[in-house]
Amino acid sequence: MKEVAVLGAGMTLFRRHLKETGKELSFLATKMAMEDAGLQKDDIDMVVMGTAPDAFDGIHMKGENLIDGAAGAGKPYVRVFNGGGTGVFAPIAGWWHVASGVADICLVVCEEKMGNCYPHPQTAFRHIWDPILDRPLNPNLVWLFAMEMNKYMTTYNIKKEDIARVAVKNKRNAVGHPCAQLADPNITVDDVLNSEIMAWPVQRLDISPPSDGAAALIFCNKDIVHKFTDDPIYVSGVGWNIDSTMWTNRDLSFPRYVAEAAKMAYKKAGILNPRKDIDFAEPYDPFDYKELHHMEGLLLCDKGEAPILTREGVTERDGDLPICPSGGLLGVGNPIAATMGQKICELYWQLAGKAGKRQIPGDPRVGVGQAWGDIMQMATVMVLRRG
Amino acid sequence: MGFLEKQTDPTSPMHWRGDMQADYFYPSGIAGDKFFKHLMEKDTFLATKCKPCNKILFPPRLYCEDCFEEITEDDWMEVPASGKVKLFTKATINAHGVKMEEPKVIALIDIDNTDGAMLGIIKTNELDKDFSGVKVKAVLRPKGNREGTLKDILYWQVI
Amino acid sequence: MVEKKEYKEWPPYAPGTHVRESDIREKKITYSWWEPEVQYSWSVGHAMSKFLQGLKDGKLYGIHCKTCKRVIVPPRMFCEYCFGPTEEWVELKDTGEIETFSISYLDADARRIEEPILVGVVSIDGAYPKPMGFMHYFGEMTKDEIKIGMKVKAVWKPENEREGSITDIKYFKPLKGGSE
Repeated sequence: MKEVAVLGAGMTLFRRHLKETGKELSFLATKMAMEDAGLQKDDIDMVVMGTAPDAFDGIHMKGENLIDGAAGAGKPYVRVFNGGGTGVFAPIAGWWHVASGVADICLVVCEEKMGNCYPHPQTAFRHIWDPILDRPLNPNLVWLFAMEMNKYMTTYNIKKEDIARVAVKNKRNAVGHPCAQLADPNITVDDVLNSEIMAWPVQRLDISPPSDGAAALIFCNKDIVHKFTDDPIYVSGVGWNIDSTMWTNRDLSFPRYVAEAAKMAYKKAGILNPRKDIDFAEPYDPFDYKELHHMEGLLLCDKGEAPILTREGVTERDGDLPICPSGGLLGVGNPIAATMGQKICELYWQLAGKAGKRQIPGDPRVGVGQAWGDIMQMATVMVLRRG
Repeated sequence: MGFLEKQTDPTSPMHWRGDMQADYFYPSGIAGDKFFKHLMEKDTFLATKCKPCNKILFPPRLYCEDCFEEITEDDWMEVPASGKVKLFTKATINAHGVKMEEPKVIALIDIDNTDGAMLGIIKTNELDKDFSGVKVKAVLRPKGNREGTLKDILYWQVI
Repeated sequence: MVEKKEYKEWPPYAPGTHVRESDIREKKITYSWWEPEVQYSWSVGHAMSKFLQGLKDGKLYGIHCKTCKRVIVPPRMFCEYCFGPTEEWVELKDTGEIETFSISYLDADARRIEEPILVGVVSIDGAYPKPMGFMHYFGEMTKDEIKIGMKVKAVWKPENEREGSITDIKYFKPLKGGSE
């Protein structure tokens, strides 16, 4: 297997509605990644497209439609999709292409236009439920996460205040991000606790917004990376795992599929003590409690310990274990697959010292990114390291 | 029944009916918006030139998918709303597979002064004619009624 | 043709054009509109077929996986963990325990409602290991009374109104006076 390095990354503005078509968004993100790497279309060997349900953009075979904008016309191409996990799974697929030796340089593009589903992407989410067992009850997707959040809070006796701290941290972290949709330098825990109750215990400011956006990443073979940079960032571990769709028969207080994916990635990366060996992390945070849930799933702390670390400031950008320094989904936005921009592109920018106002102090060398998808089933994990 | 039981009653496994309901809104995009807004005011099309490939791209776009060059403001140009038929067929069934009362002639039309083409319906009484290479022009909605979508082109007519 | 850019901060700019709801309503941008109509007829499958028939008869059925020693509900033809065929049908009680719940002020279309809906997961007595059950509504209790671990019982629709659907149970209510 070849070692794989990251050459460049790019992302677009994230907003509820963007004027550009999906193809144009893919082009803008790809162009930025190519500017970062100093490459042209002909230099790219293969293209991986990551994009979540066709039902959002409203175009069947969405990947094939977007490929022009992803520098893919005339190239070997594949689309991968596993719901919300796509944001980290698409880079994993890009990694396979280079690690296996079939490509020297592989471009990964993730795009989403949730705004096309009118009036609200909730309509498309209605079809994720089992048509026979769940849909006759007319469920709303927020119910699902409210139930998981309730189980997590009750099992470990967690107060809403500690969970709200995550939303505050991430929305404030996002202030340094030019693409951010919901950056807010002044938000407080009280703002979150006083926001409208959607489905208790989930309140409006606990949730990340649906967004339009795209992100791109370029991988290359270690043998040629010296032509582009003296200080490469490498993919040191990858992992992925999915649990059964029968979520009513599973223990919702701990995401075991995240732990399995993390173990797979850490084994490859040679990480024996995640809390010590990992410098910062970007777990998937579509809801504030999910950041805590996933921190525990990523084995960065004990079960029930994540809210304590948050309360003590350990997860702030200048803390001992910065979590979501990009601002995460809560601060920057949630265009499902394009969250690769915060979860993996951010790891690369931080490790390369290019994160500008969001840069973590000190000398971060190892970062882990994670995404989560489907009905609380899919976990995808990637570890990047410097040098 | 368990996996190993025989299924002897054909009416027993049931079906569950439902639908997938959603409405869709497709913004035309940066290039598309420019094209349709122009078409609302004028009776001509817009196209874009890719200098490295030396091609006039139609429909106009923000970038060339072959060389990946970004198209700038100066690369946009006006072209006539007319062309020559490249390929055509006589369609007798509609999108749902139901026979239509009146067959339609669907054509892929090479747009004049460009290297691109678009689909259109040719309104004609000569349904079985050979349209290859025939010159056609677009018949547009009256100016005040144009909405900024493809439907502003009502049909194509032989010149 | 793209040249390498040596920006200090990444992302150096945020390409993309924000469009507001009002821009769409006021038609400041052009767009197309599509309302697809797609109908589906899903095969229910052997196991669910018996489960739904059971609901019509006012009964809850689970199925036994001998290898994993589980009584599974909702039932399935094969066990997803050991991948072996499931075998005997087990008639379960219509009582259970609340695994988790939510108090929702949103209905299925994300519209706000005044009176909250109580919904959650109920583990059914007789099925194991917990959690082992399905999602349903809770009723005859207030949002302050509902708790994880509360014992509940199904409230069924009258026989002539049952159709062979999960909604043949109206909701689960608190089981007064302990288990039966």
